[in-house]
Amino acid sequence: MLINRIFSGSDAVYGLTAEAVENAISQHGEDKAVGFPHTAYCLPCYYSVTGVKVKTLGELREALTVVKSLMTREHELEDALMSGVATALCAEFIEALKYLDGAVPYEEPCYGHLADSVIRELGVPLVTGDIPGVAVILGSAPTAQEGVDLIKSYQAQGILVTLVGGIIEQATELGLKMGYNLRIVPLGKDVTSVIHVVSVALRAALIFGNITPGDAGSLLSYTAERVPAFVNAFKPVDDVILAAGAGAIKLGFPVISNENENIVEVPGALIACPNVADFNKVSLEARNIKIKITNIDIPVAFASAFEGEIIRRG
Amino acid sequence: MSEFKLTTVDEFEAATNRLLETGAKVGADAWQIRVKNQTPHCKFGESGVCCRICSMGPCRITKKAPKGICGCDVHGIVGRNYLRFTAGGSATHSDHGREIAHTLYETAADGNYKVKDPEKLMRLAEEFGVETEGRDIYDVAHEVAEKGLMEYGKPFGKLIFLKRAPEHTQEIWKREEIEPRAIDREVSCSMHMTHMGCSSLPEALIRQSLRSGLSDGWGGSMMGTEFSDVLFGTPREVETEANLGVMVKENVNIVVHGHDPSLSEMICEYADSKEMIDYAKSMGAQGITVSGVCCTSNEVAMRRGVPMAGNFLQQENVVLTGACEAIVVDVQCIFPALGPLSKCFHTKFITTSPVAQMPDSDFIRFNAKTAGENAKMIVKTAIENFKNRNNDLVYIPDMKQKAYVGFSVEQIEKKLDGVANTHVDEMGTMVPLVDCVKSGVLRGAVAMVGCNNPKVRPDAAHIELMKKLIANDIILVVSGCSAQAAAKAGLMDKRAKDLCGAGLKRVCELADIPPVLHMGSCVDISRMMVLASRIAKDSGWNISQIPLVGCAPEWMSEKAVSIGNYVVATGIDTYLGVEPYAYGSDVVDGLLKGGLEDWVEAKYTVEHDIDKLGDLMIERIEEKRTALGI
Repeated sequence: MLINRIFSGSDAVYGLTAEAVENAISQHGEDKAVGFPHTAYCLPCYYSVTGVKVKTLGELREALTVVKSLMTREHELEDALMSGVATALCAEFIEALKYLDGAVPYEEPCYGHLADSVIRELGVPLVTGDIPGVAVILGSAPTAQEGVDLIKSYQAQGILVTLVGGIIEQATELGLKMGYNLRIVPLGKDVTSVIHVVSVALRAALIFGNITPGDAGSLLSYTAERVPAFVNAFKPVDDVILAAGAGAIKLGFPVISNENENIVEVPGALIACPNVADFNKVSLEARNIKIKITNIDIPVAFASAFEGEIIRRG
Repeated sequence: MSEFKLTTVDEFEAATNRLLETGAKVGADAWQIRVKNQTPHCKFGESGVCCRICSMGPCRITKKAPKGICGCDVHGIVGRNYLRFTAGGSATHSDHGREIAHTLYETAADGNYKVKDPEKLMRLAEEFGVETEGRDIYDVAHEVAEKGLMEYGKPFGKLIFLKRAPEHTQEIWKREEIEPRAIDREVSCSMHMTHMGCSSLPEALIRQSLRSGLSDGWGGSMMGTEFSDVLFGTPREVETEANLGVMVKENVNIVVHGHDPSLSEMICEYADSKEMIDYAKSMGAQGITVSGVCCTSNEVAMRRGVPMAGNFLQQENVVLTGACEAIVVDVQCIFPALGPLSKCFHTKFITTSPVAQMPDSDFIRFNAKTAGENAKMIVKTAIENFKNRNNDLVYIPDMKQKAYVGFSVEQIEKKLDGVANTHVDEMGTMVPLVDCVKSGVLRGAVAMVGCNNPKVRPDAAHIELMKKLIANDIILVVSGCSAQAAAKAGLMDKRAKDLCGAGLKRVCELADIPPVLHMGSCVDISRMMVLASRIAKDSGWNISQIPLVGCAPEWMSEKAVSIGNYVVATGIDTYLGVEPYAYGSDVVDGLLKGGLEDWVEAKYTVEHDIDKLGDLMIERIEEKRTALGI
């Protein structure tokens, strides 16, 4: 049962989050400050959905009860998707705790949280269509080569690619050049780090869409209509990933996966695509991204994604 | 149009009351009055324990008289009455199907009737084993028609269309000995079995009821639908309007009522011609408006987008507007009351079929050979009648809703292709729909059909149930007067998605459909059987496992019972808001509401509390989901 799996993934993440928050409080006390660096939006996802700024661990604990209230357990689509949103918010809390005390939890090549300045920079090409889409690639590809080929296929189309989990190692292994100036952004190895791209989408809605924080309805229709993101999740897709996927679907982002066991497709939202080589075209159709490509036959790759590339000596 | 809002049953009734005032002014009778005169109904009849099949009777069963004169007990009497009721419905649909087959036989390249959907004809030819290679399309059409006509009385074998059902269903039919042989034969056999001194074993009578029903759904009705599509085109999505407000005061209003599209199609054709429109203008009207009532309305709405003036219990209202120049009818569900009622106005009540002749009507005999002239004559008669209108009596309620109709199985398939991914999904399947159900985006489906019945607040049951079901992410396929109730209320407007649960709303947006899909007239319930079979095949479930139930909350006619029997016999649980005349026998009643499940994996549920009826359907759908582990 798809909905049950989403609920179970969501419950698992919630359990971990509640535990992590309690541990942090017993260690640092309720007044300890919490938040991400270089952002004016505190915990951006939670802030954009609820309109509430969380600044301390005590407030985080309160926020968790709000999150819990989203996790209704009726067997209906809305319940499943809202549980997905709750899962995403939990992921943000877990990620925020990594940044306690000015810690630097992510290191090269991973970015983790992205600063507001990055969003402002990416926002304009996103709005003008210069970046025609945002790919969120999650997990490990069947082979490193397939994973890198997929990334490069998006990069050649000018699509911003974010990476979470094993795919990052696979890309590193094959020496793929990454960085947000190249439109390839490795986020982190834990599945919770996927929230950093969600955070980009939601802050884009606040910054460029002029959405009032807390106006969840407008927020979700903005992301669905204006942020051309989609998710490519490699198998195995476990309950937690499914729950996070439900959050993506609620934002209007389809999930494409090569998972073929124990999963049910949802037209337009959760699509099985056994062959990774087809991910690109399936994803673009599912997200209704139309790209006109003029192929220039040259010996190197050519795309606006390479505009920020730095040529080093040697 | 301003903000979207459903039209309520209260508003329907207010409009009706206003029209009844006009009626009172001219001394018209009305069904509302006749219902009062007939209430309370005879309990012997209502419980099915009154028998009049021989002249030793009439007999009725009471505590003091537990047996009829022949010795038949209450179970035999109730069973026989039920079977005859079914046979009546089956005969009605099947004769309609036969007429259409004859019309198909009359097609010619330069004739009144042509083949509009050759592709469908070719598919049928293949199914019927008719050679197509290098042949003239009309030769093929004639042979298909002939093959079809043979289905009514062939001496050997079983109905060809049964093969459309999933194997599991076919096995059940064989095992239970309810595979229909020839269509007419089942009706005839039913009449035979119910004769004095034949069957009085309730099991045998109910088994034959199922077989007779199946000969309708998988025989007469299915042929009616398929051949109508060949003749007049397979329905595709089309925008139209519904409710009395579709009649136009300044125009000549022709209302088509009845069932057979051979007549209404031809009338629409002529009413649309420049010649007739000019003629209408010369008579002082601004144009011609054809609208429909009942199933013939569904037929022309599905194929031409002709507006729907109303359903069964609104047929008198059409005349009461005082703006109806002609109400043209063919067969079935036509109130004989329309004759005397039309005499209170300038309205011409035009009967056209030898099968349905009524007093106080103008009979213009319609047949396939002379259809063109007949239709022209009818349209002309209506136009010439425009000048006789008494403008003091004219009142058309300003009430109509937009509706998207035309959801044949072919159209549904096309919509589903639209949501599939062209790179990974196979086209032309029901898989996207199955996926939505499996994942829980949709909880299931309800096929809502049937009539109006004064025993239930008219239209209220249809509309309230639909609202409840769509709010629970259950998609509706509808037909007949149920469909028209939905259209009048506004449930076929795409904006009705906002009344749906999140799952169904998403489906509506993605597939660009309204939450309630109009699949056509009552014979078009055969489309639903095809749809259920396709879903079964694409999901690997048996039909009885699909989270799908049937519902006829306001059923009235014998046809509805025949439909109910074939729907149940196909493995789909059926929910009724009106009791069949069977509760007088606990054996027959017990079979219908329970025992049938052992035979065909489905049964009837009757519940008068409409809200509860909805809960029961939702419960059943959830039960089926749990059983499937989805």
